Amino acid sequence: MNQDINIKTLQKNCFRQSKVPGVFLLQMRVPGGYVSAEMLEIVKHISETWGDGNFHFGTRQTFDVCGIKYQDVPAVNEYLEKYIKSVEEDVCGVDMDLIAGEKVGWNPKAGYPTIGARNITACIGNYHCVCGNVNTFELARKIEGIIFPSHYHIKINISGCPNDCNKAHLCDFGIIGVAEMEYHPDRCIGCGLCARTCEKGSTRVLTLNEETGKIEKDTCCCVGCGECARVCPASAWTRKEEKYYRVIIGGRTGRQTPRTGKMFLNWASEDVVLSVLKNWQNFSAWVMNYKPEYLHGGHLIDRAGYKKFKEIMLEGVKLNPECLVAEDIYWHETEYRSNFNVKPLSLHHTAGPQDKK
Amino acid sequence: MSYRLTQNEADAVFAELLKKFDIYAPHRHVCAGRYSDDDIVKYDKVESLSDVEYKKKSDYPMKEVISPIQQALFYFTEDEYRESKVSSRPILIFARPCDINAQKIQARIYAGNGGFTDSYYERMKDRVKYILMDCEGGDDNCFCVSMHTNKTDNYSLAVKFHEDGSLFVKVKDQDFDNYFQEIKEIEFEPEFVNKNELKVTVPVIKDHETLNKLKAHPMWNEFNSRCISCGACTIACSTCTCFTTKDIIYGDNPEVGERRRIESSCQVDGYTTVAGGISYRKTAGEKMRFKMLHKFHDYKERFVDSDMCVGCGRCTARCPQFISITTTLDKMSKAIEEIEKGEV
Ligand code: SF4
Ligand code: SF4
Ligand code: SF4
Ligand code: SF4
Ligand code: SF4
Repeated sequence: MNQDINIKTLQKNCFRQSKVPGVFLLQMRVPGGYVSAEMLEIVKHISETWGDGNFHFGTRQTFDVCGIKYQDVPAVNEYLEKYIKSVEEDVCGVDMDLIAGEKVGWNPKAGYPTIGARNITACIGNYHCVCGNVNTFELARKIEGIIFPSHYHIKINISGCPNDCNKAHLCDFGIIGVAEMEYHPDRCIGCGLCARTCEKGSTRVLTLNEETGKIEKDTCCCVGCGECARVCPASAWTRKEEKYYRVIIGGRTGRQTPRTGKMFLNWASEDVVLSVLKNWQNFSAWVMNYKPEYLHGGHLIDRAGYKKFKEIMLEGVKLNPECLVAEDIYWHETEYRSNFNVKPLSLHHTAGPQDKK
Repeated sequence: MSYRLTQNEADAVFAELLKKFDIYAPHRHVCAGRYSDDDIVKYDKVESLSDVEYKKKSDYPMKEVISPIQQALFYFTEDEYRESKVSSRPILIFARPCDINAQKIQARIYAGNGGFTDSYYERMKDRVKYILMDCEGGDDNCFCVSMHTNKTDNYSLAVKFHEDGSLFVKVKDQDFDNYFQEIKEIEFEPEFVNKNELKVTVPVIKDHETLNKLKAHPMWNEFNSRCISCGACTIACSTCTCFTTKDIIYGDNPEVGERRRIESSCQVDGYTTVAGGISYRKTAGEKMRFKMLHKFHDYKERFVDSDMCVGCGRCTARCPQFISITTTLDKMSKAIEEIEKGEV
């Protein structure tokens, strides 16, 4: 088949190239991986009308419909209006006319305006999970409008608790719900179950003092999982009502330098997380000299260096008193090729505005 | 005499009562539940009517007011000791019928059981008067009607909260008449639940032989893999009375300190451990058997007129492993039937 197709334009429109010329895969965003079951009707219709009749769960919790022919893209986009309006505008309150905060104007019949930022993934969190500390998809919905639509990329994964089922450690900006625990010694019967549970499944920070029959805690290392409250028969451990988050940055998979992310913020309030993310566009723009490229967040942090990242991301952010910030980050990555990082200066990437040169 | 108080009148009466009484009531603690964003309702000292959670049955029992989870009994220095003191202010407790009836059961264990009266329990109990809260039927774990604990006349005041903030009050104890002098009388009688969704028949164990066979019945084995021996059921129980004592030493002088009593439970590991590290009931099944027979056989055998359970259903509600006391009772009935038919 002889076809002239600009696959970059199509990619921005959330249609991914396949092995077969002229055939594409549509990625439908599902912020927080949670959406009304009604939406499945739309997925079904698209797949049965224009696709191959199946769908795949994208690794970033998108609905992926395979087998869409290039000539059907306009029809699919027109049909998508309902889905995008309902999921993005109604549920997440996204202003689809803005791209990276600038008024561009969205044609609702033309499908997704950008592929950045990538779909925000989340575990089910405290909506269902007995371990969860926060409502993960509600947070995802609040973040959606801050980072999307935009041509700057960022992968955000949200986990409801430090068990981190949704791999906040393996994305650009991972968010983990943590609980600040309160101990009520007058309710404690000294059974030691919390200490045994913490030792077995968490950080071993609790000890039962045999002299007093009460629990002692090494507060420095508590990860805020809330397991002590879950197992205590007497509610002697409770979670504080306020929600807190741990932010892990710079994790990634990939061909070059896969690595686990490192902690940027601990005990941050929701306000802090949201206002930090509001600086993401500025940071990305600065690093890439105001020209968006298809490059993920972790690489941008590498180019700018953590200190610069910290400076821009914390601009204008009023930290809650409990919030701790990493002074430095000591990355640990897998270098697939030894010394791959040592190369002629001319091959080095740049960061920040380049006009002066 | 009965009255209907506007919200303001009710608040004013409450404020007057506070001058004389320490008032305790179920109180909602937001997000303090076992799981995130779940609330917990437990008894607390309250300062205003709006602190009273009257809609949801409390997760923890009223007994916590009278026999707290932890209390100091006495303080010792070398060869002397002094009993702990409690305030002499009278206490008013907002309570449902099940919780009030549970005190009848508890009192028998604490006072006079084996010829010994527990003065720490008595000194609290003697200060208490009840404000009966109209119970609109509890929840699907309640089986008070089956246990005959759905009604009580052990109260000074009976109240019913109305959605619009007004309060129906019946004054049964004349000591309270003067709080309501300015207010017009109406007709109001507290209503009692007379039907629960859940009905239970407590099985009769007719002789010693049946009892022994029931103890040896394989039904208890199920709990070895299900029950985690956490004790949540007994901490939440309106009637359980078990406690342990602990001497807390002050500083580095082992002769100075206090003796504390702390609630304990037959379900928790270590409860039956005695000198030498020997334990009477090791497996979760053995512990469950002890709890069930203690509540639904031994107590009645000794005190005749009731079992050691008011059917509040809190044990079932708090069990993280979804072990239902009523289903367990049904299993007991079935096992007894098998025993009587000679099948086991
Ligand atoms: S990360 Fe925590 S809250 Fe989320 S699914 Fe796993 S255990 Fe549950
Ligand atoms: S589990 Fe609860 S009651 Fe048991 S030791 Fe820990 S805090 Fe105390
Ligand atoms: S055994 Fe269960 S139902 Fe009976 S009084 Fe105790 S908590 Fe309530
Ligand atoms: S056990 Fe009876 S009195 Fe108690 S809450 Fe349930 S229905 Fe009401
Ligand atoms: S029955 Fe349930 S609440 Fe009671 S000890 Fe066993 S697991 Fe815990």
